[in-house]
Amino acid sequence: MRSTFFNSIYLFAIVTLQANTPLHERIDGLIREKAVGHSFSGVCDDATFLRRVTLDLTGNIPTAGDVLTFLKDQSPNKRKELIDRLITGDLFADHWMERLSVMLLERLDQGKVTQAEWGHFLKQTLREEPLWDVMVRHMIKANGKGPARSAMKFLGTADHHAMTENVSRLLLGMDLTCAKCHDHPSVKEWKQAHYWGLFAYLNQTRQATHKKEEKVYLVEGLASKKVEFESVFDLEKMSTGPRLPNGGEVEIPQFEKGKEYVKPAEDGLPAVPRFRPREQLAEDLTSGENSGFVRNSVNRIWFLLLGRGLSHPLDQMHGKNPPSHPKLLELLAHEFVSHDFNLKWLLREIMLSKTYQRSSRLPEGVTKVEPASYRVTSPKGLTPEQLLRSLMRATGNTGQIKALKVDPEAEKFDRKGYFTGSNVELPPSLEEMQAIFIQTFGQPPGEAAVDFSPGVNKSLFLMNDRLIQHWLKPLGNNLVARLGKLETTDAVARRMYLSVLSRLPEEEEKTWVNAYLEKNEQRRTNALGDLAWALLNSAEFRFNH
Amino acid sequence: MKNGNFSCGSSVHGISRRQMLGSLGGLAGFGSLLHPAIARDIQQGKKQVCLIWLDGGISQYESWHPLPDSKFAGPFRSIKTSIPGVHFSELMPHTAKIAHKISVIRTMATKDPNHSTGVPRIQRGDPLDRGVDYPYLGSAIAKLLGPADPDLPPYIWIKPGNGGFIHREAGFLGAQYGALALGDGRPPVHIHRPDNVSTQLDAARNALRQKANERFKAYRNTSDVDAYETSYDMARQLMARKEIFDDEKLNQKDRERYGTHPLGRHVLQARQLLEAGVRFVKVNSYHWDTHGDNFNMSQRLVPQADQPFAALINDLDDRGMLDNTLVVMMSEFGRTPLINSRLGRDHWPDCWSLALAGCGIKRGAIIGDTTRDGAFVDGEGYDVGHLFHTIFSVLGINSRRVHYRHKGQKLAIANDDCEPIKEVML
Repeated sequence: MRSTFFNSIYLFAIVTLQANTPLHERIDGLIREKAVGHSFSGVCDDATFLRRVTLDLTGNIPTAGDVLTFLKDQSPNKRKELIDRLITGDLFADHWMERLSVMLLERLDQGKVTQAEWGHFLKQTLREEPLWDVMVRHMIKANGKGPARSAMKFLGTADHHAMTENVSRLLLGMDLTCAKCHDHPSVKEWKQAHYWGLFAYLNQTRQATHKKEEKVYLVEGLASKKVEFESVFDLEKMSTGPRLPNGGEVEIPQFEKGKEYVKPAEDGLPAVPRFRPREQLAEDLTSGENSGFVRNSVNRIWFLLLGRGLSHPLDQMHGKNPPSHPKLLELLAHEFVSHDFNLKWLLREIMLSKTYQRSSRLPEGVTKVEPASYRVTSPKGLTPEQLLRSLMRATGNTGQIKALKVDPEAEKFDRKGYFTGSNVELPPSLEEMQAIFIQTFGQPPGEAAVDFSPGVNKSLFLMNDRLIQHWLKPLGNNLVARLGKLETTDAVARRMYLSVLSRLPEEEEKTWVNAYLEKNEQRRTNALGDLAWALLNSAEFRFNH
Repeated sequence: MKNGNFSCGSSVHGISRRQMLGSLGGLAGFGSLLHPAIARDIQQGKKQVCLIWLDGGISQYESWHPLPDSKFAGPFRSIKTSIPGVHFSELMPHTAKIAHKISVIRTMATKDPNHSTGVPRIQRGDPLDRGVDYPYLGSAIAKLLGPADPDLPPYIWIKPGNGGFIHREAGFLGAQYGALALGDGRPPVHIHRPDNVSTQLDAARNALRQKANERFKAYRNTSDVDAYETSYDMARQLMARKEIFDDEKLNQKDRERYGTHPLGRHVLQARQLLEAGVRFVKVNSYHWDTHGDNFNMSQRLVPQADQPFAALINDLDDRGMLDNTLVVMMSEFGRTPLINSRLGRDHWPDCWSLALAGCGIKRGAIIGDTTRDGAFVDGEGYDVGHLFHTIFSVLGINSRRVHYRHKGQKLAIANDDCEPIKEVML
């Protein structure tokens, strides 16, 4: 009796203690717990931290001035202050709009909502305190009415199979494509019934045009019976109502004739049924009790910052592919729900952890570390958008951009010709440059952007592209122009490393710069371009490390 | 890529170079699609492929199977070939002389009469529906055999119009198995170093880049960084060998032998690429869709295929390459026996012809019995699934045992219901 009592007190104390410990410390505890006896890399230096956080939160490298200011800052809380400042700024909304959009749409542009409208929806949400469950609920239930109209971009053209596959893969971490035709051949717990259960939530949805407004809405028809399906292996007939994987089947309510609808058909839109399974899905799916949704959510957010999911690949969350740190995944899931799915809160906590702030240099005396252990930071390749912005900032050409958007009045830029050489013009707007970078460095539309994938065509582009060559000539007040005015080679090295690699050069690097410039005295301006070219094409620039 | 970790030890590093060569698009997914034990079994050798694709459908009556006495014949005569008793259309005088070096299948019987679905269906080998997009032949070979020369991309596609790095033919294999396409025979512009950068200068600045990478790599897990460096090594190799893409260098006499029209130039360029060691070259020619004015169009088009095809076979044979190089010339279907009111022939998948040569294909085999007027197969025809089994087999890939692996699913490389066409194989 007595011992039970004390045990209870003890347990209570532990639970309370843990609950009072900030999440970022508990993250570090669980990462350490899985690698007891192994060494860990230390926290990265200030310059690396600044570059990492600035890229992760704003999609760009810091300016040379930012680096110097941050290095000089004596505040013991300067890392936390930096995170807080960037995550509340407008650039955060702009960049995470890109990150989330690429993850959710995989660069497909479908349906009647434009990219701009969808981007606006994401940006508006991200400017405030974005709640992830609310965002996803909007994306699933959007029907075209009201301010969340743009969220229906996620459902594309309302193709039932595409919606089923996207919801399962992107929102539940389950690639159920195989289960369309039969139970998954190697993952026992993924059943054909899971696929069709989700399908049954979505198969009444279609596009319909509002006659007066001439706008497309996503409407739902009357769901009156279960969906039927059969396995291609045994041709057994089966059926299911709407059902989440590992959830209960939703009974399809039967109404008296005449009472099935809450609103009659009008203006080209069909009657609105009383029972709307897709709206039901929006609620059922995003509930804090739906562990599959919550775990997938935190896994993907963790991935966006750490470059590797706790469960990896991201769409293979099943028993045969267990997470590297199951307790941590559960903890993140639990805490995310108790903090109302607050995206910025979770990002902030992860970024405050030592795990996120760890150096990408291996611990002393170690030659190789399993990335899934998070004992060292894994470098992440820059996204196409990050790469473009960073190139412009590094070479000091951001100010040279003449237009942000494509001018609809102007003659269309021949992008194909740009790649074949028949068009020798430079892209006239940032939007056009971005399209060129996405075409070169982005994943093909419809494929997930998960792992870094170098390629010969990408390296050829960085080495020889006309736009990049152009940026390395002295223009206005760009990097090469400014370097040309500096007297000493030390000053050149300092400015160049701060601008391109966001850090101060080491002694050895200063000697490289010095030697190269001495050797190329006669063509100093071009030589400055060569040096910048070498740094831009180096791995250190290409990765967020 | 299914698994980003490299807990498997050194293999990532070891494979990265070969992988990068086999992949213009990226490094993702290596090894995960092929069963490793089976992958080892493939006898890769130096086998190469040239696919000449006549897009839109060449008429079998005006080429491989003339039948001038049938009720469906057009105005052209048939001529004797180098095989006694075998005749081709008079529009194919060059190929008629080398008929003994090639095989013709006259009883292709496929399913799809539409271009839009027919082209992908045929170039994917019409596999059974497994709910995935299968790769086209070139991407399949890039995956199954990899590059023949480690410094060159495995799949190059010469086509009129635009070029670039085209990934869509790779299907579920992933972008890295797509084609490097030479639009109008020209490589992508980024292969050219800017004019103001000399070779010396380029070497100097690359030395700086490499020094920077060495410094960055020290004390780091090197997998991704190594892969990144490898992509630069490969890019520089390709830049250094860009003369193999340069059609200005082609010999004037060769140009005349192959024909100065685009298809002639492109087939000659294909020979140059095969000689350089590219594993798979596809040459596209468009506008073979002769719904109207079939005979004038055939009179103009068929010789444009006849001349370079025969020249290629002769050249490969003279160079001792034919026994290791498979040449296929085909379309997505043939054309209707019945001549329509616009003097055209429409789409006809029921009975059509194609030609194969080299690399384990018989010399001089003319295969398949048709009804007297050539309209239908007499007996069993061959579907494209049979053709794919045949192609894989002569390239040393056991099309029954080798599978792709995709998301845990084992996928046959060719239609399960078909077999290799034994009578065309050595």
